Amino acid sequence: MNMNWSRLLFTVIFLVSIAFFARNLYRLFAMLCLGRWENRFDRLKDRMVSMLLFAFGQLRVLRSSYGFNHLLIFWGFMVLLLLNFEFLMAGLFPHFSLAFLGHYPYALLLVMTELMSVLVLFAVAAATIRRLFFRPDYIEASLDAFLILGLIAVLMVAYFGYHAGEIHLGTTIWAAWMPVSRLASALYASLSPQAAEGVTGTFWWIHALVLLAFLNYLPYSKHLHILTAIPSCFFRSFSVPQTVPPLEFEKGNHFGVSKINQFSWKDLLHFMACTECGRCQAACPAERTGKSLNPRLLVHEGKRNLFINSQAMWNGRRIDSLPPPVDEKAMKVSLIGEGHESIAEEDLWACTTCGACMVECPVFIEHVPKIIEMRRHLVMEQARFPEELLRFFENTEQRFNPWGIAPSDRAKWAQGLDVPFLEAGRPVEYLFFVGCSGSFDSRTRHIVTSMTRILNAAGVSWAILGNEEKCCGDSLRRLGNEYVFHQLAMDNLQLFEKYGVTRILTHCPHCYTTLKNDYAQFGANYSVIHHTQFIDQLVREGKIQLRKRVNGRTVVHDSCYLGRYNGIYEPPRNVLRAVSEGIPPLEMPRHEAKSFCCGAGGGRMWLEERAGKRIYLERTEEALATRPSTIAVSCPYCMTMFEDGVKEIKAQDTVQVRDIAEIVAEAIEA
Amino acid sequence: MERKKPKKPRGVARYIEGKCIACGARCQSACPVDAIEMNNRDEPVILLAKCIGCQKCLKVCPAGALEMYYTPDEQKILAEYNRAQAGIEAPASAPTAAEWKGVWIFVEQTNGTAHPVSWELLGAGRALARDLGVELAAFILGSGIQHLIPEAFGYGADKVYVIDNAVLKHYRTYPYLEASLQLIRKYKPEIVLMGATGQGRDLAGAVATELRTGLTADCTGLSISQADRLLEQTRPAFGGNIMATILTETHRPQMASVRPHVMPKPDFQSGRQGSVILEEFSLPEDQITTKILEVIPLRSESTVNLAAARVIVSGGRGMMGPENFALLRELADLLGGVIGCSRSAVDAGWLPHAHQVGQTGKTVKPKLYIACGISGAIQHLVGMQNSDYIIAINKDKNAPIFSVAHLGIVGDLFEILPALIAELQNHYAQLEEKSLAVI
Repeated sequence: MNMNWSRLLFTVIFLVSIAFFARNLYRLFAMLCLGRWENRFDRLKDRMVSMLLFAFGQLRVLRSSYGFNHLLIFWGFMVLLLLNFEFLMAGLFPHFSLAFLGHYPYALLLVMTELMSVLVLFAVAAATIRRLFFRPDYIEASLDAFLILGLIAVLMVAYFGYHAGEIHLGTTIWAAWMPVSRLASALYASLSPQAAEGVTGTFWWIHALVLLAFLNYLPYSKHLHILTAIPSCFFRSFSVPQTVPPLEFEKGNHFGVSKINQFSWKDLLHFMACTECGRCQAACPAERTGKSLNPRLLVHEGKRNLFINSQAMWNGRRIDSLPPPVDEKAMKVSLIGEGHESIAEEDLWACTTCGACMVECPVFIEHVPKIIEMRRHLVMEQARFPEELLRFFENTEQRFNPWGIAPSDRAKWAQGLDVPFLEAGRPVEYLFFVGCSGSFDSRTRHIVTSMTRILNAAGVSWAILGNEEKCCGDSLRRLGNEYVFHQLAMDNLQLFEKYGVTRILTHCPHCYTTLKNDYAQFGANYSVIHHTQFIDQLVREGKIQLRKRVNGRTVVHDSCYLGRYNGIYEPPRNVLRAVSEGIPPLEMPRHEAKSFCCGAGGGRMWLEERAGKRIYLERTEEALATRPSTIAVSCPYCMTMFEDGVKEIKAQDTVQVRDIAEIVAEAIEA
Repeated sequence: MERKKPKKPRGVARYIEGKCIACGARCQSACPVDAIEMNNRDEPVILLAKCIGCQKCLKVCPAGALEMYYTPDEQKILAEYNRAQAGIEAPASAPTAAEWKGVWIFVEQTNGTAHPVSWELLGAGRALARDLGVELAAFILGSGIQHLIPEAFGYGADKVYVIDNAVLKHYRTYPYLEASLQLIRKYKPEIVLMGATGQGRDLAGAVATELRTGLTADCTGLSISQADRLLEQTRPAFGGNIMATILTETHRPQMASVRPHVMPKPDFQSGRQGSVILEEFSLPEDQITTKILEVIPLRSESTVNLAAARVIVSGGRGMMGPENFALLRELADLLGGVIGCSRSAVDAGWLPHAHQVGQTGKTVKPKLYIACGISGAIQHLVGMQNSDYIIAINKDKNAPIFSVAHLGIVGDLFEILPALIAELQNHYAQLEEKSLAVI
């Protein structure tokens, strides 16, 4: 392109585009600065590895076989970056070329670019066809998506068109290394030299303009993720899934999140990093059973809220400083409410905190902690929560259990059984934390009685707290009632301190996660073991003898708070294999990290399910589809849900629901 | 020189060995300072350092297993205190009969509709007024409620006091309290009765506190003691184990509240007249800190009112199907009750959620709760375990419902219920015959 006016025009367009893009980048960064500080700069080496594996390696994307398509597009883009850079510079400085890299390196670059461009073109075509004719329900066929695919296609075609023209006109020495463009240059054969020049020039301009336009379109579309996805992977959370930070109960503090700027900068980055792939939606038990909660839309609403409110706060003013000024009164749209730029209250309460969304997300968005923070605001600052929770909150606060039963009845289950009680000054190896369900629920009592038998058969040094034990507070924390949770946590920790507890054994994954991960925030210095891990250990160490073989088909269900939250998948399976002489249990299609929630987590055990299909029915049907005679669970909530589900489907005569402990206790009896 | 009033020593609570009946740690729950711990035998252990001598635990103990303990020094002071009190005790302003006269009934209304308990109270009040030889009056508070005046007369009032003011349009404690106080202080009735409804409970307590008088809530019986013209206020106490009759001897007015459906409603005599006193009342709206922002009517998914029902016949998964609830309906009708259910029935779509009793449904405390085909998991029990009398029918003898049932029947409800219904019908038929025979 030797015409000066053309170059001048391009220079002007280029400068304007870059300036506009830079301004938008700055505004996006300023939006991030609106959030509160959070330290995500620890474990830098691990972070680098995560970034390489998940952002560049696209590992989570590849979990679905169709993700390979995206891998192609992504790597195509990465390779094309170099040549596109050369392209733009050449528009400004006519003889600019990356050939200085060396003859063969540059040649290789050209070949790779050609190859990748073709692959990208096919990938984009495949994506468009899928979106049009084979669209799964969790993919939204939005205009945004088609526009992006279209623009990419145009860029690829323009690229070939331009290079084909150059080859035809003989203005490039690299024709040998551009096989596809060479092929395409045949299309120029019938044109006159002037026409060929014109067409080539047109392709050049199309490529240039679309590239610059696309760049500037980024902040206004979901394609923003190409800027934010890599940092989002880098700044990921390493706890799986993250528990929420504790609160300081000081006058003047706010509790929970009610405004977009009360989130941390990492949360705001999440909102910007969402690619709207829908994997979270496809995994969400609430969404799959017809509730209004959709994790993908929740993140989208957060993003819109951020954009519209930051817009309102800055209102055309220059942002002179970072962090930018925050005029909260100018905020236009509330974070929690109705509409496309707010998150509906109903959605917040529908979440079971199962964490499936976070495990699926390719860019490590953390949905659950955001939901809990908003619940905290609703419960503690507004007292706005479903009325069923009122009794639950009152009972746990006053009687330390959800049913309001007198604390002096808590150890009643142990009457007549060989259960030792903790005594001050006489520490034991394991404190068996019974939990509320174990103490009061008639079905769960069978689990704790089975544990008693197992513990005594193994000759383990153990004891229970008795009537002093209080609810671990799990549901309270997940529902946002941090204050009562805090009180209970402090009380329980004092008890552990008083009795010199070093190891806690529990059968309930919710108690397990809370005592281990949540209490750790308050300085807990004991280790926690789940009963499946413990029994697995006992079997391997030969401390209990499994005399009876358990027959029949057993299907195993992974509890969310045991599996996804703590990575405990093998122990229950080991135990089930041990009691059936090596035969592994049946697996449901959605198992281990993809396990489908029973519906009781996140405080939902205490709430009514009013919309859609019952989550527990969905999961029970999945279990029954494997034609089991036993459904093996490791959680009292799951137990309750499956028992109800089995009775509902009228399968109680052919299928029984059993906890791992019950199965083992039966097996150790001769 | 005035003798310095000795401060009454509070003492501390003490457990009387062996008397505890393990009622479920009521004393521990009653203690406001957490000074009671329960030992392994469910007996109370008083933490003397914490005990403030408020005697709440003593009062709540159903077995009289707690007593107050005074040190010898304290006992001396106590004796001195009692002597001093006897000297001061003669009440300075014992109200005379002449000062306070009349039986007043509060007519509760919502949006211009009177609550029927008001008319029931007029019926009871008529008997009291007759025995005392005084006037029976009703007082109505509200805005645009003057149409209730002829109704009050029709149910027996001789006089009606009315305050019709915009601030009283919707019930709020403060304006209703001020209005009531104005009337009572001006006209000095000796007896004021209110219905023990949500509104009545709120208002009665506030009024009695301001007037420094006694209030007996939830009375089941009201009568006049002829000797001293005192109102005898009778109500169950100690979990219904005794009937207590309470007198407000030295303060006026004597206040009592009565639950709906306890007193019979009198017959309406239309055209009955009396005198009306329209009282002026002014209370600037900005002095009232409570504002009504929105009135949300109860969603009536169905017209069942479980919370107020006195008899509930409830069905669970054992009912097998929605058509079998007809059996329960029949039984409920015979007993004058309503039907309820456990969560399983709602999940299965047999009954709407409004009938659900339990953790995420309603909490009920009827006089009689009949649980048919309900296993009694903790989630259901928590909603009905405080019912006065629980009957359970279930074919599983190990069902947890039997742990709270007063009477348990292990058997097939499809045999038992029809038999029960037939027996009841027979019983009523015989009663009818007998009563006919008398005539």
